[in-house]
Amino acid sequence: MKAAPDLIVPVPDDALLIAFANGDAAAARDLATRYLPRVLAQAMRMLADLAEAEDVAQDAMIRLWKIAPDWRQGEAQVSTWLYRVVANLCTDRLRKRRGTIAIDAVTEPADGRPGAVAHMQTNARLVALADALAQLPERQAQAVALRHLEGLANPEIAQIMDISVRSVESLTARGKRALAHIMAGRKAELGYYDD
Amino acid sequence: MMTDPNDDMLDDIFAQARAVTPDPSADLMARILADVVSPASEATLVAGPGLWARLSGMLGGWPALGSLLAATVAGIWIGVAPPATVEDFAASLLGDAVTVSLFAQDGIFDLGDLADG
Repeated sequence: MKAAPDLIVPVPDDALLIAFANGDAAAARDLATRYLPRVLAQAMRMLADLAEAEDVAQDAMIRLWKIAPDWRQGEAQVSTWLYRVVANLCTDRLRKRRGTIAIDAVTEPADGRPGAVAHMQTNARLVALADALAQLPERQAQAVALRHLEGLANPEIAQIMDISVRSVESLTARGKRALAHIMAGRKAELGYYDD
Repeated sequence: MMTDPNDDMLDDIFAQARAVTPDPSADLMARILADVVSPASEATLVAGPGLWARLSGMLGGWPALGSLLAATVAGIWIGVAPPATVEDFAASLLGDAVTVSLFAQDGIFDLGDLADG
């Protein structure tokens, strides 16, 4: 017996945004439920600091509410727009961080739980990654983050960053090389040992 | 082909970063929705002009309303206590004053007959 087709079709993002612009506050809740986890994760991966990532996520979503009345259906995708806004907000924060070390970014203190040390190690690596991203030119940092932290394909990154696919390839290649170079000196500290 | 050990490290850290999927706290969700007064309802509740504001707007704002009010007061005053010049002017335009009564002069107010009858 064939399964009944799923009749519940999700409301498209831009329809929700337009509904919100027309006074439907519940549409904002739907959009936040749909996008906040992804927006927060993107910010957290780039910044390795939960408080800062939450600020960025809040800022990005509130910008979405503000742009709602001017949103043109079909012209842009909400997801693409949010990727771009979060990437920009994160590189803004990373730029301000340059020269300072985010020593308070390790969120969990060591304790006696199994896995606590590994957790600390992971946090230290993510903070090191964020510190290294902060040292890259902003466009390189954004391209590398979208490619390797978000796992997006180059054409999608090209759309988000409003550049050609070839430019994305160039930015990600140069950015990754630069990151590897910056982090090479911290291998032992981060728990990586050459065989 | 040899792989660059630095790339291996980087790829490993990228993978760990991709595994980061924090759950948004209820507090964050509340912060994001706290200020959500949708643009349309905001226009209605906050910036929406009331009847008075709309009338004022139609007439041209406060300066126009002030003039209108002054003209209205003056009109009422002239109606209540017309200066002699106005009465003369009205007479010259309309001729002699004409009194119009809605009731026949010897109609219902002429109760004397009934009482007598």
